[in-house]
Amino acid sequence: MTAFLIRRLLAMVPVLALVLVIVFSLVRLIPGDPAVTLLGPGATQQQISALRLQLDLDKSLPLQFVSYLGGLAQGDLGQSLKSGLPVARELLSRLPATLELAFVALIGAILVGIPLGVVSATRPNSALDHALRVGSLVGVSVPAFLLALILQLVFSVWLGWLPVSGRASPFATGAGATGFALLDSLLAGNPRAFLDGLAHVILPATVLAAFLAATLGRFVRNALMETLGEDFIRTARAKGLTRAEVVYGHGLRNALLPAITVVGLKFAEMLGGAVLTETIFAWPGIGRYMFEAIRNRDYPVIQGTTLLFALIFVASSIVVDILHALLDPRIRRKVAS
Amino acid sequence: MRLTTHILAAFVAVPLLSGAALAQDADRAKTLVVAVPSDPVNLEPGTNRAEPIGSEVILNVFDTLVAWTPPEFGKLEGRLATAWTVSPDGKVFDFTLREGVKFHDGTPFDAEAVKFSLERTKTTNPYVQATFNLIKEIAVTSPTGVRITLSDPYPAFLSILAQPQSAIVSPTAAKASGDKFATNPVGTGPFVFKSYKADTEVVLEANPSYFRGAPKLSRLVFRVIPAASTRRLEIESGGVDVVQQGGQLAAIAAEDVAALAKNPNVAILTSPSQIIRQLEFNNNKTEGPFTDVRVRRAIAHAIDYDGLLSGIFGGTAERVYGPLTSNNWAFNPKVKDLAPNYDPKKAKALLAEAGVDPAKLDLKLYSFQGALWGAVATFVQANLADIGVKATIQQTEFPALRALQTSGQFDVALDGRQPWYNDPDAHITIGYLSDLAATAMTFRMPKDAMLDGLITKAQQTADTEARKQLYFQIQEEIVKRVPGAYLFSPKLIVFARSNVKGLVVNSAPPLNEYWSVSKQ
Repeated sequence: MTAFLIRRLLAMVPVLALVLVIVFSLVRLIPGDPAVTLLGPGATQQQISALRLQLDLDKSLPLQFVSYLGGLAQGDLGQSLKSGLPVARELLSRLPATLELAFVALIGAILVGIPLGVVSATRPNSALDHALRVGSLVGVSVPAFLLALILQLVFSVWLGWLPVSGRASPFATGAGATGFALLDSLLAGNPRAFLDGLAHVILPATVLAAFLAATLGRFVRNALMETLGEDFIRTARAKGLTRAEVVYGHGLRNALLPAITVVGLKFAEMLGGAVLTETIFAWPGIGRYMFEAIRNRDYPVIQGTTLLFALIFVASSIVVDILHALLDPRIRRKVAS
Repeated sequence: MRLTTHILAAFVAVPLLSGAALAQDADRAKTLVVAVPSDPVNLEPGTNRAEPIGSEVILNVFDTLVAWTPPEFGKLEGRLATAWTVSPDGKVFDFTLREGVKFHDGTPFDAEAVKFSLERTKTTNPYVQATFNLIKEIAVTSPTGVRITLSDPYPAFLSILAQPQSAIVSPTAAKASGDKFATNPVGTGPFVFKSYKADTEVVLEANPSYFRGAPKLSRLVFRVIPAASTRRLEIESGGVDVVQQGGQLAAIAAEDVAALAKNPNVAILTSPSQIIRQLEFNNNKTEGPFTDVRVRRAIAHAIDYDGLLSGIFGGTAERVYGPLTSNNWAFNPKVKDLAPNYDPKKAKALLAEAGVDPAKLDLKLYSFQGALWGAVATFVQANLADIGVKATIQQTEFPALRALQTSGQFDVALDGRQPWYNDPDAHITIGYLSDLAATAMTFRMPKDAMLDGLITKAQQTADTEARKQLYFQIQEEIVKRVPGAYLFSPKLIVFARSNVKGLVVNSAPPLNEYWSVSKQ
């Protein structure tokens, strides 16, 4: 298992390196000089040159890359061109917000997606199955910004149940120990802050979860139907097991294995989707941070966030592999040998 | 296990907390929440680069020596200064300072603080260096007297002192915080800085001992909401009290403005601005059809200015005739007649006279992103089609358009400027002085000894009436050269919940003070 892990971790390095090279050159290919953008109107050529010098933008691309790599080796992601603050610290302070949103969305997607898939699979071609399939098709295809707008209109503006945007009511919460607002409010024994945070997270998490829940539902339905058609299920039935025992004890257990792969990979994809969702819901996470950085041509921030997203993507695929090995004795044996 | 206990405890405790919730409602009634489109940076004069949101925070936490008097903004009033005199040569400014004022940290405000602040900003803020470098000496003449001497006469200097970048900081706090002062700003203003949470909010609290009287609000919160559609929904649902339209790059769309106008809970406050939006030519080009003034004039005659205002803006923008807006104190009314009017026939005749076949003028019309700019570009495109000129619209992101302009790789572009201080200098010098041609947001004017000379002279003339006459002449000269077609001046728009009273929309700089605001 250790050898397996080391192999997988080593394989991450070239992937991340490639991502870095691509992003580093791509952000510099989009037209727009950060120095001009930062200084605004009326800046003289002299001021622009001075700022370019100060920001190291006057060096050649390969030189800039080498100095960036040098910093990276020491865990230094550079400084934001806009705020002048270290990117690594800025990212870390925003990461909890994104992870919190993603985890809530993930839990929601699992709680909704899997039961939907099971219900559909156990009643194939029933009216309910058709309705759920149409629902999941909608969930997969509706664009996030549209869903977000509809939810905001219905639940916030018309019904007034939930806040339109933000992570907490203004000045409602203080800084917590972990940076995860929901967890912090619980640890601090502050139920009002917890409920306030919960009310804020519901809509963005729903938008983020919609695609995953729908995908997961469709996937579980297909996998479970396939499993339920297999020989060992017939044997289990023949042994006189109840329908529930057959579906949940034997069918779902086997069907869930591939579903874990889907969840793992889609989770990382979902973080990418956070760029749009966080922007719409004014959620102070890394997706939004990246969105604004692109607008400002804040190169170090764009590089840092992309690298972080890539890291999460690769890491979650490793976690999936490990989970797989833990759950499936056949893979475990193969890994060990 | 511990977590579940906490959750259970949480739900049990909820009813007990309803009393606290009521207290919070009372708080909300005296809290003004302002939605802003992006995270403010550099919340102190020494580092702020005219970033609008940080600037507005500064204006509410700090005070300047002088400020423009609302609502006309045509006259300066004293803030931290009670009186001032300018020497006849326009180089020496003597200020008498207000007595008994204290910074939020208790440090007394005096002449030393003024000297410290302005000298500090001069060295730390590259954004204002161009004007602050004119300061030769700041002398403390008494505890309540400051004399600022400039190396060259610069009558717009008082306007510069009204900018947020010229606000006075607490020397004690600035020295103690060092480069962390932007996250712990301390001034004399109506609000005291309380907290800043990145990408989330800036919280200010009332300064009960403010020298103009304590603000009516107890708290002022700037909430960062990047999506315009979300800002609209927030003001409709009452989640925020004020939304600023700001620049049109991140503005609420025109159809949303129309919808908000029908909402009885939302008031739309407008004020004429000094912003100018134009179709500009690349005046630095030495070849191509647009080097001929007749071709430029033809394009300017092709545009239906009044149609643009009524068709696209529905009353939220005003006509512009030349390089200054009609509300500027140096506006020359003669420009109204000199500026090319909508006359497609004349446009065609001019093209024929210049020997240019309109069908061969295949233009790329560059513009900013966004629905509003798209609508303006489409309108102009149709106008150009009427005189037989084909234009392809290319909407580009803000930084990309700037890059295109500074590198000069365009013929025509839609563009505009928002002057940051209230003086004709803000439009004229930056826009038309040929020395600045290659910098951002200019008309890229070619070397022009006569015009350059006039601009520099007007910039340095101390006598207001003589200065005005110079700007009159400059405007006529510029309009003669047709560096662009002046399209419109958008009004400044602020959306406020109808219970918000006393808000005055400032024009130059377009930043609001919340000292006078209350909620009913």
